[in-house]
Order: sequence, then C-alpha cells, then structure tokens
Amino acid sequence: MKLIVTMTVNGEERELAIPPSRTLLDVLRNEGGLTGTKKGCDVGDCGACTVMMDGKPVNACLVLGIEAEGTVIETIEGLQHAPDRPHLLQEKFMEHGGSQCGFCTPGIVMMAKALLDENPDPTDDEIRFALAGNICRCTGYTKIIDAVRATAETMRTQ
Amino acid sequence: MTIHEKDIPQKTDFTVVGKSVKRSDTLEKVTGSAVYAGDIALPGMLHGKIKRCEIAHAQIKRIDTSKALALKGVKAVLTHENVPHVLHYGSPHPRSASCTKDQYIFDHRVRYWGEGVAAVAAVTEEIAEEALHLIEIEYEPLPAVFTIEEAMKPDAPLIYDNGLDHNNVLPPVVVRRGDIDKGFAEADLILENEFDLGRPTPAYMEPNVCVTQWDGNGKLTIWSSTQTAFMVRGALAEVLGVPLNKVRVVVDHMGGGFGAKQDLFQHEFLCALLARETAKPVRMEYTRKETFLGGRSRHPGKIWLKQGFTKDGRITARQARIVFNSGAYGSHSPGVTNVGTAAMTSLYRCENVDLEGRAIYTNTPIAGAFRGYGVVQTYFAIDLQVDEAAERLGFDPAEFKLKNAVREGDIAPSGHPIVGHGLEDCIRRGIEESDWVNVRKTSGGSGVKRRGWGIGCEMHGSSAYPGIKEQGNAIVKMNEDGTVTLLTGTAGLGTGAHTALSQIVAEELGVPFESIGVVQGDTDVVPWDIGAFASHTTYMGGRAAQIAAADVKRQVLSHAAPLLEAEADQLTIEGGVIRVTGTNRSMTLKDAVAPHRGIPAIQLVGVGTYTPTKSYSFGAHFVEVEVDTETGEVAVLQVIPVHEIGKVVHPIAAAGQIEGGIQQGIGHTLSEDYVIDLTTGRSLNPSFVDYKMPLSMDMPPIRTIILETAPDPGGPWGAKGVGEDPIIAIGPAIANAIHDAIGVRFHHYPITPENILDALRETTKEA
Repeated sequence: MKLIVTMTVNGEERELAIPPSRTLLDVLRNEGGLTGTKKGCDVGDCGACTVMMDGKPVNACLVLGIEAEGTVIETIEGLQHAPDRPHLLQEKFMEHGGSQCGFCTPGIVMMAKALLDENPDPTDDEIRFALAGNICRCTGYTKIIDAVRATAETMRTQ
Repeated sequence: MTIHEKDIPQKTDFTVVGKSVKRSDTLEKVTGSAVYAGDIALPGMLHGKIKRCEIAHAQIKRIDTSKALALKGVKAVLTHENVPHVLHYGSPHPRSASCTKDQYIFDHRVRYWGEGVAAVAAVTEEIAEEALHLIEIEYEPLPAVFTIEEAMKPDAPLIYDNGLDHNNVLPPVVVRRGDIDKGFAEADLILENEFDLGRPTPAYMEPNVCVTQWDGNGKLTIWSSTQTAFMVRGALAEVLGVPLNKVRVVVDHMGGGFGAKQDLFQHEFLCALLARETAKPVRMEYTRKETFLGGRSRHPGKIWLKQGFTKDGRITARQARIVFNSGAYGSHSPGVTNVGTAAMTSLYRCENVDLEGRAIYTNTPIAGAFRGYGVVQTYFAIDLQVDEAAERLGFDPAEFKLKNAVREGDIAPSGHPIVGHGLEDCIRRGIEESDWVNVRKTSGGSGVKRRGWGIGCEMHGSSAYPGIKEQGNAIVKMNEDGTVTLLTGTAGLGTGAHTALSQIVAEELGVPFESIGVVQGDTDVVPWDIGAFASHTTYMGGRAAQIAAADVKRQVLSHAAPLLEAEADQLTIEGGVIRVTGTNRSMTLKDAVAPHRGIPAIQLVGVGTYTPTKSYSFGAHFVEVEVDTETGEVAVLQVIPVHEIGKVVHPIAAAGQIEGGIQQGIGHTLSEDYVIDLTTGRSLNPSFVDYKMPLSMDMPPIRTIILETAPDPGGPWGAKGVGEDPIIAIGPAIANAIHDAIGVRFHHYPITPENILDALRETTKEA
C-alpha cells in the first residue's frame, strides 16, 4: 500500500507515493531522487541526514515520510543559489577544508545553516554545541569550526 | 613509453604544489551532488539483505529458506548450499605474502557472532528485511574461544585448520638483532610491562554498500565503496569464475575507509550473485549495526615488553612478545603482525632487539587493516615505557626521547637507511612550541582537576614495502586546447588525493591547476592500481602521475621545438606558455598542440609507472590533558602535533589528515572500544550511541605544525605520506600526559573514567 504525500521540497511542491513506514530520509533519497542527504546510521545518532523541516533542523531518519505532509523541506541540494553559485557556507567549507570524505558534510552544512539562522555571531563553543549531534570521522572538527566561524564573520560584514 | 623517475628534475620554484588550491572534489560534496555507491539507483533494482548468525561458533545443521522464498516480493535467497564454495582471500593483495586465504562467501560453519549466513533479494528493502526473519536455521554449537589466552591453549578448538597449532594465523614473526643478553647485562634499569590493547573500529560514516548489475553479455558492473577497486575486481573474477574483462568496479566518492575498506565483506559477492540469479540490478547496503558486526576493527591483543636502559640514558635491549587477536578470519593479520613487530626495531634507537609477533584466531569479529596498521599498538607500548624510563633515570621525557630518536642513516624497520633527521626536528620544534619546560612546572597538584602534559612520538612508512612490492600507475593526456586529463586508479577516499595528484601534474607540466581534469574510479578505464592505503597515494601515485606528466611534457616540447625554431631542451613551459630560454620567442601551449588547417592535433599521451621502496614520515605530539579526580573524566585540552612529511603538496589537506587522525586516536585512547561479551561472543555496542567517539564537543583545539626538513628522494619533489602517522603518536602522548597530571601510569587503552578512579583509589590506599 502507498500513500500520497504532498510537501514542498527545495521550493518545489512534490506529490509522492510512499509506503507508510518509510522514513523521510528514504523518501527524499528514493521517491524524491535527492541523494545528497546521507544515511549514516538510520537511528538518529549521526546527523548525516539533517534537513530543514519548516525551518528547523531534523534528522530525516527519525521523521516518517507521511509526517512531512504539508511541510516545507530544505535539503542540501536546495542550498546553493544557482548551480554555479554556492551558498556562503558551502564556499567556506571548500575554502577551509571542512569536507574530507564528504559523507557527513550535507548534514553538517544544514545544521550550521540552522545555527547561523538563529545566531549570526556564534562563539566557537556555540558552534561545537550546535554540531554536537553531527558525527564527522575525518576532520577532527577543526576545519569545520573554522568554516562556520568564517561564514558568520563574512555574513556579518556583508 | 615509460620514462624513468631519475629523469625528473629537482625544483624549488613551485607554482601549484605547496598551495592549498580548491580541492577538485569538494564542490560536489558541499552541494550534495557527489555520487557515492549507495546513491546509484537503476531501473528495476532489487534490494539485498544479509541474515547474520547469533552464535559465535557452530555448524549449520539445517537451513530452510522456503518460507522466505514464498514471501511476495522476494526474488532470490542464497545460502552456503547454493553459492560457489571457493576459498578466497579476505584482502586480496596479489603481490603480498601477507594475506590469508581462509574465507568462503558462505560456509557451512560460522566462526563469529554476526557472520552472514544467508542473503535475500526483494523488490523493497522492507520486504528483504522481513524475509530474513522467515529463514530457519538449526545450528550445532561448537566450543568457542574469545580471548587469545583461551585460543592458544593446547585443547582449544581450531577455528581454521591452516596447519599451524594453537590457532596461529601465521608462523610467528621473529626479528632479532644484536645480542639481547648482552644488552640487558649492560642495563642499569630494566622495565617490563604487559600492555593490553582495546578493539577500536574505523567507524567510517558511509556504511558498506554496493550495487551490482550484469549486462546481456555476462559482464558484471559493481559500484562499491572500496579502497581497492582492482583487488575487488580480482577477487570477484576468481570466485565467480569470470575473466577480469567481465568485471568492472566503479568507485566515485567514498565516505571514508581508514584502511578497513581494503577487505571484501561478503556483500560484494552476494550482491553480484543475487543480481546474476535474478537478472536484475541489486543494491545492498549494510545498516550501521551490520557495519560494526561484519566490519573490521584494529587488532586487539597484548604486548609484553622489556627494555634495558643505562644511567646515561641509552636503550641497551628491547625484547617484546606481541600477540594480536585476529578474530574469526586472518584478513590483514599477517601484514599487521609483520609491520607492527618490525616497527619495534626503530623509533628509539636500540642495537639489541628480540621481537616475536603472533596473530591468533578467536571467535570474535574480524580484525583487519585500520590506520596505523599494527604500529599504533606497538609504539603505544614502546613510548609509554620509554617515558617511564626517562622519569626513573631523572631525564625530562622529551629530552630523553630526543636523545634516543632514530636518525639519519639508522636502519628503518623496512631495512632502509633513514633519510634525514625528521623525528629529532619534530621533538625539538614541539618542545619550543609548547614551551614544554615551563608548562610542565604546573602539572599535577592536589586539586579536583589536575592538568598534565605528555609527549608521544611515531614514525611510519609511506608504502607497504617490503611486505608488498607496490606499483603506482598514471596516464596523462593532453587535449588539443592544452588542458589535461589525468587517469588514475587511486581511490577517492576523501583525503584530497586527486587534488594532490592534479597539483603534481600541473606543476610538472607548467600549467594552471584548473587545466587538470581527473578520471578515476573505473577499472575499465584507469590504469591498474593497488589501492589507496599505506600512506602511499601522494608518495607513489603522485610520483607515477609526475612521471606521466613529464612524459607528455617531453612529447609536447619535441613537437613545439620546430614551431619555435629551437631545440626541445631550450624550451620551458610556465603558466601554459612555451618559451625559448634566453630569447623572447614563445607560444601558448594551446597553439602548439591545436589542430591546424586540416592537420589533426597530435596524440599526446604520457604513461607513468613507479615502483617505490619506502620512505618514513615522523611525528611528535605534545598534549595537555585535564583529569577530573572526582569523575575520572579525562579532557584533552590542546594538542600540538608536529609532523615531518617531506614536501607538502596541499597544506590544508595535509593538516586535515593530521587533525582527523588525532580525533580517532583520542577515541581509541580514551573511549572507543568495540566490546565483545566473553561468554557468548556477542557484540555489546554496535551503534554510534554505545561506541563512544570524540565529537565536536570533545575535540580540543589542535595547533598543527608541518615540517619539510627530511624530504625523501622517492616521492614527488620529496613528498611523503601523512595519513597514518597522526593516529600513532596521540595515544602515548595522552597516556603520558595523564601520568604527568595524576602520577599514574596506565598500560592499556582505552583509559576509561573507571580506570582513572580505580587507580586513584589504589594510590590513596597505598599512601
């Protein structure tokens, strides 16, 4: 059995036929065709599947697809302004080496965006706290913190 | 044509190498468009799942798949009864003596809790999962052993009958030099300890995953997350009984591997067989729990170490017995045992050594390759004991390590003479940067929170020589507009390797970095590659790329010489412009190679093959910790890692390797341990909640310092490896810092809060 669910994904209204037990993560990746959001654990431990749901960050693996009915979802694919114009966070992650294997990167960039939306001038401790639920196994976080801090600094001067 | 490495000129005026250019793989990664194996979706694709045993050692008496096959949506079920029964290598390095051939796709016997026993393909993942529960299996339990002590007893069950006694995976690795008795006789102080090593796992973010498809001509394509695409191709071809040109392995981006993804994990074979049986593409992705259960860990084990020291601070004798727990299969145990044991001949100089390393089968999850490859364990033991000797003999530990540091001309574990004074340089620089002498004055105290500083040292080889006679290959093509395509087989593990290789090609050719495009990760297209491991990608693959680029450059210049009315050896290329030295004649590269008036562009293809021996990189970590004597918690407050890695190709990527290695090293030293229940063999913490890794809140500031003082003639412009080094030095640095803070020397990892509190209670009792 499948249910029809309607949600706005990256600014576009999508009508998707989904099995009722399927998570928003699997719906985005399979029915939605948006594989930028990653599955690292599927149980809410790693943050690789972080997306914005009605402006708040969620672990997409902990939300059922049917719960997304009528919501506004933003994923990593919707962040850049145009194909050749990445979001400032994305620019800074590239510049500072905040992405190595890249598997955690979409979730971390989305979580960092959620932080900066709320707090445009975070301390390093606040950045670390915001990313406490996002596992990165490559970087030691040093360059991720550098990238988020640099984004905030640039945004404030723009 | 292949040109020889010695033809490449030395260079000091770099334009691309040494600059942190924008990595060629990151735009895709930050925008979510990078394609990982698990992102591949094909029309009609089925989903595969593996059923895993819940018993540590047993014969399969009966297996009934009829109910699973009857479930609507199930397309195929595989067990040991209907898959090829071909013995294969766990990690098939074809030129290595260091791998074991002891695995079947499925056997009628299971040897560890969590081993795969059946596989299902179904139209959805959910149905495949449901079908697993419908498979009925009856086991005949066999006696199981979980520790090396149990497994080595004369009456222990043999887990794999390879002709050796006591569950040995390989004959003992014995290294002897000098006269050990004489060495101990000369000693004024002898220290003897047993070190107990935990079971950390790499915990890469991307679970094991592959997608398989057979075409109408009987050719298999597999998209897989592997560090060793050509090894996967070889093993699949051998086990499935098809020639190499009927297997294509594709790896675009990988979500980490850290060494472990050199192995085959059952799912590659099963996914291929399910796809063949159903004539449909099949995707198989491990859950996080399965990635723990069916993955690979670092080797746990025990090291008994005895060293003799003189009052004037020399090491006169070093004797060690190393026993690694291999788990249920051999995997990389021979390599890890060889490398880890041989490493003990070096780091701190000692003429008289007597070392013996073993690896033992047990009914526990498989230990394999993991960053540091045996050396994490053996240098933990050496460095901690040397630190204690320094204290007992009245030396500062950093000065003592500097005094004994391996130096130019000493014989390295590989048998080569050491090039340069890398380790000494690292220790000296760290002493300065940390203000070592002064910061140590305030260590310890009697407060609730006590601080301390520690130093740990390491050296590690780039390339797996002499265990494997390696080979790097590259093809460099120049297009008719002067842009360049590099074809490399080295995997995109996430290290920035393709960027580094592109920088090397750009530098060699005298063209901008942006002119280089990379084709990688397709065994049908790129030249053969041994895989991305052993800290050798830049050192070996980079040198091969440099040789291929030099080959193209030579062709371009000989083509351009008549156009510029000059000899080829008068020409240089800078910034994409060919100039005649000593004149003002020049032309753009594009003009030189473009087609002209009906004459096609010339074919410009350079080939590079490089067979490296080995170089060593060095590191010294200076660490400050704070120990909470009430909770037992250890916080790492700051790390100053100093690494000597020869010519640095991409400073940010190199620092990223160091900082990430430190994160994993803090993990295995203080919290990470994959725990096996010693009565059942069951894994107790196969999840990210229960397997405790240091995350953003735990990671300290890291002040990375990279030195280029001991370049190796084997690498491109002297570049050496850096991937494995950082995870080795951090552990002893932390353990030594804990001692500095609370006066307790631990001889194991992870050092948990419980251990700290127990030790402090013990100290109080003694007082």
